[in-house]
Amino acid sequence: MKLYDYILSPSCYKVRLMAALAGIKLDLRAVDFHPGLEHRGPDLLSLNPAGSIPILEDGDLVLTESSAMLAYIASLSAPEWLGRASAMETAREQQWLAFSSRLTATLGGARLHEMLLRPGDIAALQAGGVASLRELEAGLVEQRLAGQAFLVTDRPTIADIACFPYVALAPDGGVSLDPYPAIRLWSRAIRSLKGFIEMPGIHRLHELKPEPHLEQDEA
Amino acid sequence: MRSDTTGFWTPVALSADLPAGTVIPARMAAGTIALWRSQTGHIAASADRCPHRGMSLSHGFVRGEVLSCIYHGWSYGRAGNCLRIPAHPGLTPPDAIRVVTHDVRDTGGIVWVASGIPAGDPPDLDGFTPLRSLTADADRAALALAAGAQADEDGRLVTNIAGQDLCLLLADQPEGRTLIHVLVRSGSDAAARIAASRSVERLRRMAESASHKGGVQ
Ligand SMILES: N[C@H](CCC(=O)N[C@@H](CS)C(=O)NCC(=O)O)C(=O)O
Ligand code: FES
Repeated sequence: MKLYDYILSPSCYKVRLMAALAGIKLDLRAVDFHPGLEHRGPDLLSLNPAGSIPILEDGDLVLTESSAMLAYIASLSAPEWLGRASAMETAREQQWLAFSSRLTATLGGARLHEMLLRPGDIAALQAGGVASLRELEAGLVEQRLAGQAFLVTDRPTIADIACFPYVALAPDGGVSLDPYPAIRLWSRAIRSLKGFIEMPGIHRLHELKPEPHLEQDEA
Repeated sequence: MRSDTTGFWTPVALSADLPAGTVIPARMAAGTIALWRSQTGHIAASADRCPHRGMSLSHGFVRGEVLSCIYHGWSYGRAGNCLRIPAHPGLTPPDAIRVVTHDVRDTGGIVWVASGIPAGDPPDLDGFTPLRSLTADADRAALALAAGAQADEDGRLVTNIAGQDLCLLLADQPEGRTLIHVLVRSGSDAAARIAASRSVERLRRMAESASHKGGVQ
């Protein structure tokens, strides 16, 4: 399975993260997204006319939407990552997968503006990001009130993976995560999952890493 | 706003939003603090600036009973004293290296931080249980108008929305924002709690649009 990938892309990271959690090995093909704009060159446009990454190729199958890639990877080897136990779970999963594209448009747009100096109305992108974060926070609060720690049910699903990266990187676009306690707890729960992998700017819980200097007594 | 000059308690977070082994930033009118809870459940509050190079301690992490800075790993105890400097493992840090700490209490499901020296304990919550915290880009007056009730001098506003009693603890934030802790009657069931959460979202929207700056926070 081949992923056209860019290390700093949160959308590509979704797919790398899901593959790691599902125990699938990806053949990574690095794309010169910045500064080369390789994704808008003739070769990649013939794979994905929309000119975006990630692109996932598996035999004849070519996917250009990260949510579809998450569903594919989970269906292949980690069906417990799909919310399919009830009509309610199916619906919630679809709801948050679709919602994740709003995070890409708002928080992702603000981040591209701030980090890669892409033109755009930064105030509008940030305001849209805040509106999306508030919606996510409210959803997570309601889930917690129902005793569930994740977006669809009480275990993580592809919907959590689809929403997590752009949220975690919101501060890169100048949007603070400080006002969202439920998002903070959810992010911690994702970052402490067994098999979790990092991307630049998104780290495993530091306290779960081994103590760097064991020779010295704490006190 | 309170008129006494001795000091007062500010509600900064719900206890449930600060599990053992975590650190979070908390905004007070006077600035940001690092609020943390040790692995064994002890709570502490310090200035959010590491004395070493000024990194935010709320970006750090809690291991066991100490708070560590994410930058170079200097570690601090609850009393604010520096316990360890990883670059100098053999050194016992001098007692002079410390962060400013604040008096902090965990009562009624709310974490309270002292400004000055409060005369008494944090206020009693009279049969209300914390539900969630959220920030509004609106001041106390706009929230009072939207709720149809005034906050008392402790920042406690009791109102009834759609037949449900709600208690809002309001804490002023920088830039005209307000931190709202929402409390419901103890014993409210899950449906009532979800309804309360939605009611307060609506109240925030009303207060923000009345202040003509909805959605900026
Ligand atoms: N097809 C969407 C789009 C993902 C997306 O927005 N990718 C960014 C990189 S993170 C991109 O390729 N943008 C094109 C560009 O900015 O030129 C998905 O797979 O979720
Ligand atoms: S700035 Fe905190 S340890 Fe260096």
